[in-house]
Amino acid sequence: MPVLAGRELRIVGFLCNWCSYGGADTAGVGRFTQPTDLRIIRVPCSGRIDPLFVVKALLGGADGVLVSGCHPRDCHYASGNFYARRRLEVLKGMLPVLGFEPGRFEYTWVSASEGQRWQQVVTRFTEQIHALGPSPARDILAPRRGLASGKGGDSARA
Amino acid sequence: MQELDALKQRIVEALPGLDCVIGWEPGPSPLTAAPLFMRTPADVDRLVWGPFNAPNTAVYLPAFKGRKVGVVVKGCDSRSVVELIQEKLVRREELVVFAMPCRGVADASKVAGRVGDLGQVSAAARDGATLQVTTPEGMAAMPWDEACADKCLNCQYPNALVSDHFLGDPLAPAQGRDAAADEMGRFEAMAPAERMAWWAQAMDRCIRCYACRNACPMCVCRDHCIAQTRDPHWVSQEDGVREKLMFQAIHALHLAGRCTECGECQRACPVDIPILALRRKLNRVVKDVFDYQAGVDPQAVPPLFTFQVEEAKINERGW
Amino acid sequence: MDQAKFLPDASLAAWLAELSAARLVLAPRREGGAVVFKPYDPAVPLELTRDATVPPKGAVFPACEELMRYRRVKDPEKPGQPLLEVEESLPEGGVVVFGSRPCGARGFTVYDRVFDAGGLNDPYYAARRKATAFVTLACREAGSACFCHWVGSGPADPDGSDVLLTQVPGGYVVRAVTEKGAALVGSGLFSPADRREGEEAAAHAKARESLDDPRDLAPARQALLDAFDDMEFWSQLSAKCLSCGACTYLCPTCYCFNITDEAQGNEGARLRTWDNCMSFQFTLEASGHNPRPTKAHRLKNRVGHKFSYYPGLHGGAIACCGCGRCIRSCPVGVDIRQLVLAAVERAREKSHD
Repeated sequence: MPVLAGRELRIVGFLCNWCSYGGADTAGVGRFTQPTDLRIIRVPCSGRIDPLFVVKALLGGADGVLVSGCHPRDCHYASGNFYARRRLEVLKGMLPVLGFEPGRFEYTWVSASEGQRWQQVVTRFTEQIHALGPSPARDILAPRRGLASGKGGDSARA
Repeated sequence: MQELDALKQRIVEALPGLDCVIGWEPGPSPLTAAPLFMRTPADVDRLVWGPFNAPNTAVYLPAFKGRKVGVVVKGCDSRSVVELIQEKLVRREELVVFAMPCRGVADASKVAGRVGDLGQVSAAARDGATLQVTTPEGMAAMPWDEACADKCLNCQYPNALVSDHFLGDPLAPAQGRDAAADEMGRFEAMAPAERMAWWAQAMDRCIRCYACRNACPMCVCRDHCIAQTRDPHWVSQEDGVREKLMFQAIHALHLAGRCTECGECQRACPVDIPILALRRKLNRVVKDVFDYQAGVDPQAVPPLFTFQVEEAKINERGW
Repeated sequence: MDQAKFLPDASLAAWLAELSAARLVLAPRREGGAVVFKPYDPAVPLELTRDATVPPKGAVFPACEELMRYRRVKDPEKPGQPLLEVEESLPEGGVVVFGSRPCGARGFTVYDRVFDAGGLNDPYYAARRKATAFVTLACREAGSACFCHWVGSGPADPDGSDVLLTQVPGGYVVRAVTEKGAALVGSGLFSPADRREGEEAAAHAKARESLDDPRDLAPARQALLDAFDDMEFWSQLSAKCLSCGACTYLCPTCYCFNITDEAQGNEGARLRTWDNCMSFQFTLEASGHNPRPTKAHRLKNRVGHKFSYYPGLHGGAIACCGCGRCIRSCPVGVDIRQLVLAAVERAREKSHD
C-alpha cells in the first residue's frame, strides 16, 4: 500500500466473473470514483466460493471480505448463487463467534451493467470496514514472524 | 439389569446375519466405556449399558457400507445414524439398530474438575441422582447434573429415533438447563476482540492431533481430509493459533447443517478445549435461518444440500 | 553425585524465581481440564498433584521448530536465476523443565539413541538437549494407566532427569542426578536432607507398592514380529481405533517428524513438525501407493516400533516409558498394554499348536 500508506485497509473481494466483476469493470470504464482498499479475486460463480475462502482471508489478517455475485434468478449457471446465498448466510452467522465483528464480511449482488451500484457497494463496504478499523486477527493471531534477522547467512543459486 | 440381558439376547440372535455388532465394554478407567465389536456370543457378554457409554458408536458405520452391520445406540447416537442415512453414507437396509432408553452419560472432564486426577479413580457408579467416585481419599459423591455431559441435561431424544430392537420403556425428554444456551450467552457477552483473544488462548494448547475430527461421526472424508493436503494449502505446518483456528473453522463449516451436536469432538480433545461452541453456534444459525435440526428426519434434505428461490428467513442485503 | 538436600515448601517459589533469572523455566499449570507445560509465571499456580496431560517433550523436540529461513532475491545480472539466501535458526538459551514426572523426562533417553548417538547427530536436537535441564518430581502414587515398572522404570526413576525431587512432609528432598542438575541446587535455599532421607525412601517405597505386578515384556519383541503378517489379528485389535494422533503427540517417546517448507511469496521457512504414524499421510508415497493403508497397519506399526523394532535396533531398550498418556487420553480407550499382551499371548498359543 505505497500510495496511501497507513490509511488503506486490506479488503478482499470475491467477485463472480459473469456479473460483479463486469460491474466493477463498468464502474471503472465509467470513471466512477471508488476507494482503492479492495483487492479483487475473480471467481467463475458465487457458488464457487467456499466459505472457507472468507475465513482463510480473515484469519490471515484481511480487514474485510466482500462477496458479490449475480442477482438471484440471474445466475449464469442457473442455481450457483442460490447455494451460495445459503452458505454465506450461515457463514455470516458463524464469524462473530470467532471474534470477527459482524460487519467484516458481507455478500451482495451486482450485475455487469450496474456500474453505479458497484460504486455504491464498494464505497459503502469500505466505509464500513474503516469504521471498524484494522482486524483484531492481525495482532491476536500472531501472523507469521518477520523473515531474515539480517544476521547473515549463506546464499546460493537456486 | 433385565433389559440389558434381553438386549444381549437379541444381539446374539441377530449375530449370524451380521458382520458384527458395535456396542460398548468397560474401558481402561472406571469412568469410561470403550467401543466393542461383537462377533461371537462371548463378545456379547462383555456388552455394558450405562452412564459411561459416552463414545458415539455411529462413527464406525460408514466404514461398513456394503456390509450388514449391527449397532447399539443411545438417543444422540441415533441422530448421527439418521444423518448418515440422510446423506446416503450408510444404507438403512444394511443396518440393524439396537437401542435402550438413555439416562445420560458422564462427562469425564467435569468429574475431573471435582475429583482431580482421574488416573486415581478406582471405581465409579451412578446411583440415581448422584455419581459416586472412589479415589484413594475415599468416596466422593457428586450430583449427576454436575457430572453428566451438557447435552444430557436437556436431551430431547433419550430414545433412539431409529431402531429395530428397542428394549425398555421410552423416557420423557430431559427438562434440565440448556447448557449450550448458557455457553452462547457467555460468548455473546464478550467483545469481539475479547472473544478472539479467548480462542487464541484456548487454542494455544491444541496439539493438532485431530482427535476432534476423527471422533466426529459426520467427518466421513477420514484419510482424505483437506486439512492434510499441500495443494490447496488450507493449513500450514506452522504451530500458531491461526492454523489451529483455521482447522476448527474447516471442521465446523463442513458440519454446518449436518452436526447432531453429539459432542464427541470436545470429548475426544485430550487437552479439553471447548470446541463444541463453534458447532453449537452454527447449529443455532441453521435452526434460525432454515428451521432445521440435523439427524432427526431420515427423509429430510440437509439445508446446504438444497435451496429455495425465495428464502423465507434470509434478509437480502439491500446494498 | 552430591548429597541429598532439603527444600522447604516455603522456598519453592524463591527457587523458581532463582532458576527463572537466567533461563526459561517451563512448569505445569492447569488450562481447562488439561495440565500443560508453560513458561513459569509466579502469578499462575503450579499443578504438581498429577502428571501433565501433555508431556514436556516440546522443550527439546518442539511441535514445530524452524530449521532455517530462506529468501529468493532477484539478481539483475542473472534474471533467470534468483539468488537464494539461507539462514539457519539454531536454538538459543537455556531451559529448565520443572515438575515433570520421571516418565516424562526419561522419554528423552529414547530420543538420544536416535538423534544424538554414535555417528548420528542432529544439531537442533543436540543443542536443545544440552541446554535443557529436567527437575523431576517423583510420583507419590501410581495411576490406573501407569505401567512404568513394566518397561524397566519406576515412580522415582532418576534416568533422564538432572534433579530429582521427592515430596516429604514440609518440603522436598532434592537430589542432583547430573552435573547439570548440581549447578541448579547450589544456592542457600537448600539445607542438608539428613534424617529426611528416610522419609524420601519411604515415599519411594510407597509409590512402588501402589503399582501392580509388572508383566514381562521381553517376549513381545519376537511375538510382535511373528504377528506382523497376521492382519486379521491387527484388524480386530484396531477396530475401535479412530486413527487420530492423540496417542503419538502426547507420547514422551514418539519422535517421528515431518519437514516442510512454508513459503509466502519469495521468502519462507523450513519447518520440522511432529508427525504421527496413525495418520494415513505418514507413509503415503508420491505415486499414491500407501504401504500402510489401514488403521490396522498403522496401529501395528505404533506397537511394533515401541516394543519390537526399536528394541531390536537399540540393544533391547523399549521405546516406551510407561506413562500411560496414550491410554488415558485415547477417546475410545485403546490400551497399548492390552495390545502388547495380546501379541505375546498369540505367540504363546501358536507355540503350543
